[in-house]
Amino acid sequence: MSSDAKWQDSAPVKYALGSIIPGLVILAWWLGARSGSAVVPSFGEVFNVLTHPFDEPPDLNSRSLAFSVMMTLIRLFLGFALAIATAVPLGILAARNHVVEYVFSPIVELARPINPIVLLPIITVLLGVSSIATVVYGQTEAWRHDVPDQVQTAMILILWYGAFFPIYTATIQGVRSVGTAWLETMRLMGADNAQTIRHVILPHTLPFIANGMRIALGTVWLVVIAAEIFPGTRSGLGYMLCTACKTSEYEYTFSAIIVIGAIGLVTNSLLRRFEERTGHWRAVQR
Amino acid sequence: MTSNTPCLSFSGVSKSFVSRDGEIVRAVENVTFDVPRGTVACLVGMTGCGKTTILRLAAGLETPDSGTIVSPSGEIGYLTQQHTLLPWMTTTDNIGLPLKVKGMNDAARKARVNEIMEALGLAGFGSLYPYELSGGMRQRAAIGRLMASESSCWLLDEPFSSLDERTRHQLQKLLLETAAATNVTVLFVTHSIDEAVWLADRIYIVSAWPGRIIESLEIAEPKPRDRISDAFGARMEAVRKRLEAAIG
Repeated sequence: MSSDAKWQDSAPVKYALGSIIPGLVILAWWLGARSGSAVVPSFGEVFNVLTHPFDEPPDLNSRSLAFSVMMTLIRLFLGFALAIATAVPLGILAARNHVVEYVFSPIVELARPINPIVLLPIITVLLGVSSIATVVYGQTEAWRHDVPDQVQTAMILILWYGAFFPIYTATIQGVRSVGTAWLETMRLMGADNAQTIRHVILPHTLPFIANGMRIALGTVWLVVIAAEIFPGTRSGLGYMLCTACKTSEYEYTFSAIIVIGAIGLVTNSLLRRFEERTGHWRAVQR
Repeated sequence: MTSNTPCLSFSGVSKSFVSRDGEIVRAVENVTFDVPRGTVACLVGMTGCGKTTILRLAAGLETPDSGTIVSPSGEIGYLTQQHTLLPWMTTTDNIGLPLKVKGMNDAARKARVNEIMEALGLAGFGSLYPYELSGGMRQRAAIGRLMASESSCWLLDEPFSSLDERTRHQLQKLLLETAAATNVTVLFVTHSIDEAVWLADRIYIVSAWPGRIIESLEIAEPKPRDRISDAFGARMEAVRKRLEAAIG
């Protein structure tokens, strides 16, 4: 088994194996473009969009690619940050306090399986078209602040919803697996609750949280793109992708897809690195 | 600097646990003994006889069902076979943790940790994580953390039992030197008669389940003791006989 694993574990072979399917996709794209399909743009057209990210699309009712990326990332970041800020403390509390656990557990189990996208229409109706700008600057002044006015509170809430549960459950799992001996050691040292959380619970739970964040990130990417397709949105990669499809500007659709994939790849590897860094002791603990 | 004032005192202490089947299991029964300040006492008994329960009761990690325990509250250091060093902290940070908890400033803490590491032969290993250290080094670091805690009473639960003989002897010597230098009181749990006779000023023999102190033996020979001397062998034999009698 181990000798069998040797050849495929070398870096060049790993990259070569990992390139097979992307290579086939590119080949299919090239063949599609060569066949003269109206739906498949040429490499050159897509390359042109990707290398001029600040240019406003001439025939498309959408802002530039760079602006679309920025808007998507702002929404993603706000929803994700809000989820971390609420799920981690609440997860720690629920794992350490039965009263908190009993209060939150039923609603969490009930809400967790509900797809965030199906909640978007109802939340949009409930919150109206309010945005970060309307919250911060008021209804009448909101239009003056272009970027925050395009960050809808309903969307942030949905993104928070999508990211909250994986992070919350991972936090609980991490806190519950803290060794009793460590907690007793801290108690005998005279450590208070805050010191125990800071020196033991949080460092032990961080790799679990990082893993939950990676799972959550996958969910929020799906949610943000789907949410940007909903009516009432004027920007973002999802909006660009959808609008380009409607107007047959497929080079923008393809560019948006490539950018989504690339950002997803980068953010996922950053989180994976964070997970490895915070959990370096787990793999080798004897 | 020993005195007859007990640092740790058990009087008629009993403790039971409830098993998964709901049965009441008596772990220790009517345990009475004293450990005078600045001395080393060893609890010797077979595995599962309740030695660890006695130690946990002394540490305040368990509450007795009956009886009285007098211990220096807030001044107890506890070390088990599993070193309980925090694996995400370097050796330096692990040793300095009790000082950090007490609120000592960074410079003073660093100086004290360096001093301890020097004394324990850990200088140069400060940036390593526990998993990068050998078993012996890890236990040294755990002793270092006890030293940093400045506790007056150390409760040690078979801390060297998983180590090879040479390392175990080195750490036993280190323990005695450190305990003498800092005048701490040590209650040491072991099932090794050799270890008990080498370390202890007094040995308490714990009976088989439920654990009771059935014999107290004073070891008056000066330290460090010579393992290959006739007196040491005779002591070991005497303890072995009494232990076998206790097991029945």
